[in-house]
Amino acid sequence: MSDKTEVNLTGVKQSKGVWLVKVPKYLSQQWDKATDKGEVGKITIGKKKDKTEVCFSLNAELSALGTVGEKDGTPQVPRDHPFTMHSVGGRTMAVFSQSDTDEISLEGMVVHRAECRPVVNDNYMKLKKLQIEESTKPQRLSQQLERAVTTVFKPVANHDFNVEYEKKKRSEGKMVRAERQVVLDMLFSAFEKHQYYNIKDLVDITRQPVTYLKEIMREIGTYNSKGAHKSTWELRPEYRHYQSAEEEEEMQTT
Amino acid sequence: MTSLGSSSSSATEYTVRVPKNTSKKYNIMAFNAGDRVSCSTWTQARMERDMSARRIYGEEETTEGAAGSEFGKKQREEARRKKFGIVTREFKVEDQPWILKVNGKAGKRFKGIKKGGVTENASYYIFTQCPDGAFEAFPVHGWYNFTPLAKHRTLTAEEAEEEWGRRNKVVNHFSIMLQRRLREQERGEDEEDEADKSGKKKKKGGSGRGGDLRIHDLDDDLEMSSDDSDSSAGEDGDSKSKVKKDTGKGKAKKKKKKSNESEALEDSDDGDYEGLEVDYMSDESSSDEEPEKGKPTKGEDLPKGIDEASESEEESEEEKQNDEEAKEEEEEEEGKKTPVQMEKKKKKDSSGESDSSDDSDIEGETASALFMVKKRTPPKRGGGRGSAGSSRTGSRPGTPSIDSASTSNTLRAAASKLEQGKRQTQGPGTDSPAAKRLKMEPSSQSPVPSGKSTPQPPSGKSTPSSSDVQLTEEAVRRYLIRKPMTTKDLLKKFQTKRTGLSSEQTVNVLAQILKRLNPERKNVNDKMHFYLTE
Repeated sequence: MSDKTEVNLTGVKQSKGVWLVKVPKYLSQQWDKATDKGEVGKITIGKKKDKTEVCFSLNAELSALGTVGEKDGTPQVPRDHPFTMHSVGGRTMAVFSQSDTDEISLEGMVVHRAECRPVVNDNYMKLKKLQIEESTKPQRLSQQLERAVTTVFKPVANHDFNVEYEKKKRSEGKMVRAERQVVLDMLFSAFEKHQYYNIKDLVDITRQPVTYLKEIMREIGTYNSKGAHKSTWELRPEYRHYQSAEEEEEMQTT
Repeated sequence: MTSLGSSSSSATEYTVRVPKNTSKKYNIMAFNAGDRVSCSTWTQARMERDMSARRIYGEEETTEGAAGSEFGKKQREEARRKKFGIVTREFKVEDQPWILKVNGKAGKRFKGIKKGGVTENASYYIFTQCPDGAFEAFPVHGWYNFTPLAKHRTLTAEEAEEEWGRRNKVVNHFSIMLQRRLREQERGEDEEDEADKSGKKKKKGGSGRGGDLRIHDLDDDLEMSSDDSDSSAGEDGDSKSKVKKDTGKGKAKKKKKKSNESEALEDSDDGDYEGLEVDYMSDESSSDEEPEKGKPTKGEDLPKGIDEASESEEESEEEKQNDEEAKEEEEEEEGKKTPVQMEKKKKKDSSGESDSSDDSDIEGETASALFMVKKRTPPKRGGGRGSAGSSRTGSRPGTPSIDSASTSNTLRAAASKLEQGKRQTQGPGTDSPAAKRLKMEPSSQSPVPSGKSTPQPPSGKSTPSSSDVQLTEEAVRRYLIRKPMTTKDLLKKFQTKRTGLSSEQTVNVLAQILKRLNPERKNVNDKMHFYLTE
C-alpha cells in the first residue's frame, strides 16, 4: 500500500482564504449539540469607524448548558461573542484535510486568525465558577470505612488456592505413563509447532510424569542450558527438519 | 442565509454552520515565517507519514511457530515486562510526522511534526465561506509544524565533534565536506582503488581524516598546512606552508599532540592545556623521535639520556663521517661522565633556564655527539643549519668541509632539541620531526646573526654582529695563557648569548682558533686541557 498521497492542490490554487478561529471549549461543546443541519448561530460583520467588527451570536436553543430544551436552573452559555481578529503575522498557514480514504487535499490558506471571546457578564461568571469547581475535584476520593477490614488473616497457605489445588489434584489423579510411542507422537507434533519447550510446558502438554518424560526427551532431544533459549528442550538435529514458513507454504501448494 | 443590512452600521449577517457529517479531518499545516513558503508556487505535492519510528517501537516477532520459536514466549515476555513495569508506548500512526515533497524530486522537502496540546483546552475551527454566503466551521483535528529539510549533506554527530575539536586549526572549511565525499567514494570502490584514492586524498590535504586513526603528528601537520594553503597539492607546498605556519602553530601542535594522547580518555577542550607547565620540552621530542629512528644505539654504555639526545642529533645531522677529529673525541670522551650528569640535569631544567641549559646542552651534546659521530655514518646530507660550508678542517688533513659541518651539525643537533621549533630554510626534512614536537623557544640561532670580526672562511655563515664578548683569537689566547682550560671551559667563556653567535658557530670558530693557536695539551684530572705559554 503506497502511503505517498498526491496532495490535491485545488484549494490553494483557488487561493481560498479561510479563517482560523479559536473557540472556547464550552462553545464547541454546544456546537456539537447542534442539529443535523448544523446551524449554530450567526456572524455579523460590521464596519464601525474603519474597524471591522465581527460578532458571533449563538442560536438561542443552543445556549442551554444541559440537554437541549432545558432552560431553567442551569446557567446559560453566553450568546454574544465578539471575535478578535489578528493577521497571520507572516506565518504561512495552510489547511489540509485528510479523508477517510487517506486522500489528502489542501483546503486553503489562512488569511485571518480570530479568537472567539464571550461577553463577560454575570452569567458567564457563574458558568466559569461551575467549570472551576468541576476541574478542582480530585480524581481520587478517600472514603471513610465504617468497619475495619477483617478479611486479612495470616494464612498458612492461601485457603482458596489450597482448596482449588487439592481439588484439581484429586480430579486429575496421578499422571499415568502412556505408551512410549504415543508419547513420542505427542512430542513430535508439539515440536512441530515450536522449536523450544520448557519441561514444565511439555509435562502440561503430554500429561506424563516428569521422570518418564525426561527420559524420552533425553533420547530424542537436547537440553539448552545456555544461550538465547535458556533452559529449554529441543529436538536433536536428526529428528528435526524445520523449514521456513515460505517453504512450507510452497510445499503445501505443490 | 439572509443578509440583513442593519441601519446603524454596514453590517452583514451570515449564518454559521457546523457540518456534522464530515468525513474529512481538517489539520493545520504551519510554516515558519522565515522560510517564506508560498503555496501558490507549488505545482505538485506529495505527502506521506514518516514511519521511521516504527522499527524502534514495533518489535517485530522473529518467527512465529516452528523453527526458532519458544512455547509461550509471548506470554512470558509480557509477564516480564509487567513485572519490571516497562511501559512501551504504542506506535500511533496518527502521531507520526508528515513528510511533504513539493515539486517533485528537485523541489523542497518538509517535515511536519505534530504539535501537542492543541485540542486540549480550546478548539480551533476553520471558517470557510460558502458560495451561498454562509460560513462553515470545521474543527481542527491536528496541528503540524512544517520545517524545511536540508538537501545538502551534513556531518554526523561524531564527525561534527571531530571538526569542532579542530576548528582553530582548520582554515579552509570547504575541504571538510570535500573530504567526506571523497571518503565515501573511497568506501564504495574496490580495494585496489582505495590506495590511489587515499593517496589523492592526502595530496589534496585537509583535515578530512574523520575517523582515521591518528598515528602520527607528522601526517597531521602535513595535512594541516595543506589545509591552510587552499590549493596546495604537493608535498612541496606542504613543506613550504609548514615553514610559514610553523611559528604560529608550534603551540597548537603541542596542544594537539597532547589532545591526541588523551583522546582515548576524554574530550580535550582547547583551553585545557594552556596553563600547563612543561618540564622539559625535549622530553617529548626525544620520546617521539625514538620510534622514527630505526637505528639502534651502537653498543655504547651511555645512559639513556645521552642515547636519546644523540638519537635526536643523529636525525638532524646532515653528514657524519667516521673520520671525525680524533683529538676532540678523545677530549670529549673523558668528559663523557659529566655530559651524562649534564644530560640528566638538563632534563630536569625547566624551559625557562635557557641560558644554563643551553650551555650545558651544547657541551653535553657536543661530547655525546662527537662520541656518537665516530661510530655512525652520516645518513643525511644537506639542510645544514647555517654553516653548510664551513671549513674547520685543521687537524684532519684531507677531510673536506664535511667534517666541520658534521661537528657543527652535532652541536647544532645537540642544541636543536632545546632550540627547535623554528623552521629553517635549509633542511626541513631532517629537522621537522624534532622541530614539531618542541615548543618554540627563543633561540639565538641563525635568525640572530653573530657579530664577529674574525676572518672566517666564507661559508654561508651569517655575518657576525658585535656584542659584549667577542670570540676572538686574542680572547682565547688570553684565557689559555692564564690557565689551562678544557674546550668545555672555553665554550663556557663564550656564551652564545653574549657573543651573539649560535652554538654551532661558536664551536666552529673556536675550533678554528684552536687550530691556529695550536696550544699545548696536558692531561689534568683525566681531562684534556689546553694551555699556552708565552
